Order: sequence, then C-alpha cells, then structure tokens
Amino acid sequence: MASSKLRNSSSSGEDDLKVDMSPMIDMVFLLLLFFLVNATIIVVKQDAKVNPPVALNSIVAKDGNGRIVVNVYGEGEFTNEKSENLADEDAITALVKEQKEKNDLVGYVSKLHLRGDRDAVFKHSRKVIKAAAKGGVDQVIFAVYATDK
Amino acid sequence: MARHKKSAAQEEDEPALDISSLIDATFLLLIYFLVTTTIQKRETDLGMTLPASAPSETPPDIDPKFIRIDANGTISVGAGSSQIPMDSDPDSRTLPLLTEDLKSYASAAKMADTKALVQLYVDGGASQQRVIDVLNALASVDITNVTFTDLVDP
Repeated sequence: MASSKLRNSSSSGEDDLKVDMSPMIDMVFLLLLFFLVNATIIVVKQDAKVNPPVALNSIVAKDGNGRIVVNVYGEGEFTNEKSENLADEDAITALVKEQKEKNDLVGYVSKLHLRGDRDAVFKHSRKVIKAAAKGGVDQVIFAVYATDK
Repeated sequence: MARHKKSAAQEEDEPALDISSLIDATFLLLIYFLVTTTIQKRETDLGMTLPASAPSETPPDIDPKFIRIDANGTISVGAGSSQIPMDSDPDSRTLPLLTEDLKSYASAAKMADTKALVQLYVDGGASQQRVIDVLNALASVDITNVTFTDLVDP
C-alpha cells in the first residue's frame, strides 16, 4: 500500500520532496563572517592584569616564535606566560635558560617578551632585563599598545 | 471528485523535514557567541637590542647619546655639566624636544658612518610608560641600539 503511494508521489513532479536550505546557509555564512572578523593571530597569552604602555611607533608582531614572556604587575610581582608566580630574579633566569634551551633545539632566536604594566616602576623591568641577560637573552621586546583607544 | 480526494490525501502524507527548529538553534548559538565574546585589544611590539644588558668590560667605540629619565618623568640629554633638560610633562606621550635632538644625532651618526648608540639612565622610580615614551622616540628615528645603564651622574 505504502509502496504504491510512494510510486504515485514520485511519478508526479509537483510532489517532489524539497528542503529549503537557504535560511540555514544564511546563518552559517553569518557565523563564518563573525568569526573571520573577530579572529586575530595569538602571539602570546595576554595576562589581563597587565595594562601595557602606549607607543605609537610600535609594530605589529609577525610571529610568536622564541618569545619568553615575563609579566610585570603594577606592584612589582613577576609571572610567566601561564601567570605562574616568579619569586625573584633567579627564578626568571632559570625560566629564561629553560626556554632558551627549548628554542635552541627548534632553531628559534630567543627574545624576552616583557609585558610591563604602564604604572609599574622601571626598577622591576630592569631586574627582568638583567635576569634575562644572565640567562643569555639580550633581545628585548616591550609589549605595548599602538594606540590609547 | 473521487480522484480529487485521493490527491489531497496524498499531499497530507508527504514526508516533510521541518528545519525551522534547526535555524532557531543556530540563531541561539550565534547570539550566545555574540554575547560571550570579548574583543581583546591587540598588543604590538617595541623591540630593542640591549648590547650591554650583560655586564661588559669593553667600552663602546663611539660616543653614545646619554639620556636620563628622572623619577618624576623629566627627560634630559647629556651627562654632568652639559646636561640639557628636555621634555618634562609626564602626561604627554610625544616628546618633541627629544625627538628633534635624536633626529640630529641620528643624522650626524649616519654622516659619520657610525651606528647611533644611546645610553639610558633610568631612575628606578620612573614609570614604565615614561621609559616606553623614550623608546618610542628612539624607534621613530630608527635607533635600536640601546643600553640601560645604572651609572650615576658623574
């Protein structure tokens, strides 16, 4: 019985099954556009507790290879990229040495990526730079914002 | 008449896929992502090579430019008695006087075929933003060789 019905319906062209996909495609396209517009290349993990200074002549980072991230909070505390506390200069030197060894193995040039808070006093940043130099890294990248807005 | 009845019954029996709920769910997802997404401000780089970060015994072979940043944000150029005060407003991000001075120094170094070298004496109490202001001025005249020194004024 059912087979005869199906045969009947398939024989008549007007009764063909049609799924209107256009609204779904619209929505998927909207989603795609949304993510495309929002997407940025993540260079390093940005700790929200650090508010970097502003420098108009800064350049957009091309890649994050070989970067050793040290955050300097306003109160003078140091953390690594995973926001784990670094107690003193020796801990920073140990981190730099460890990361440098890893970078050397894959052929990346090690750079200190210093994310200092704009309100922090410079003596803390100087400690980090000195500790990194002790660990064998003399290239320093200061993380800044290109504009104040 | 009987034939008409038959075709109406056929139409009712047709399988139809209702995708309106799917569109509803997709729309809900879109709204969810729109609401929960936070747009993160993009950080940029201000790179510097610090040749004398590590203690060095050999002095540089050219006269470096000496820039001093005080704890209150005042910037001066030169050392000792020849120290000239430059920009002093710590809230101003542009340093017109220092930039002009650096421009002439950079062009003089270029003419003499030497590499411009700057020594920064930064007071420990100066803010990170003020140091970045000076590095920003240096970047504007393409000076990347910077030494941070702890030397006290002679």
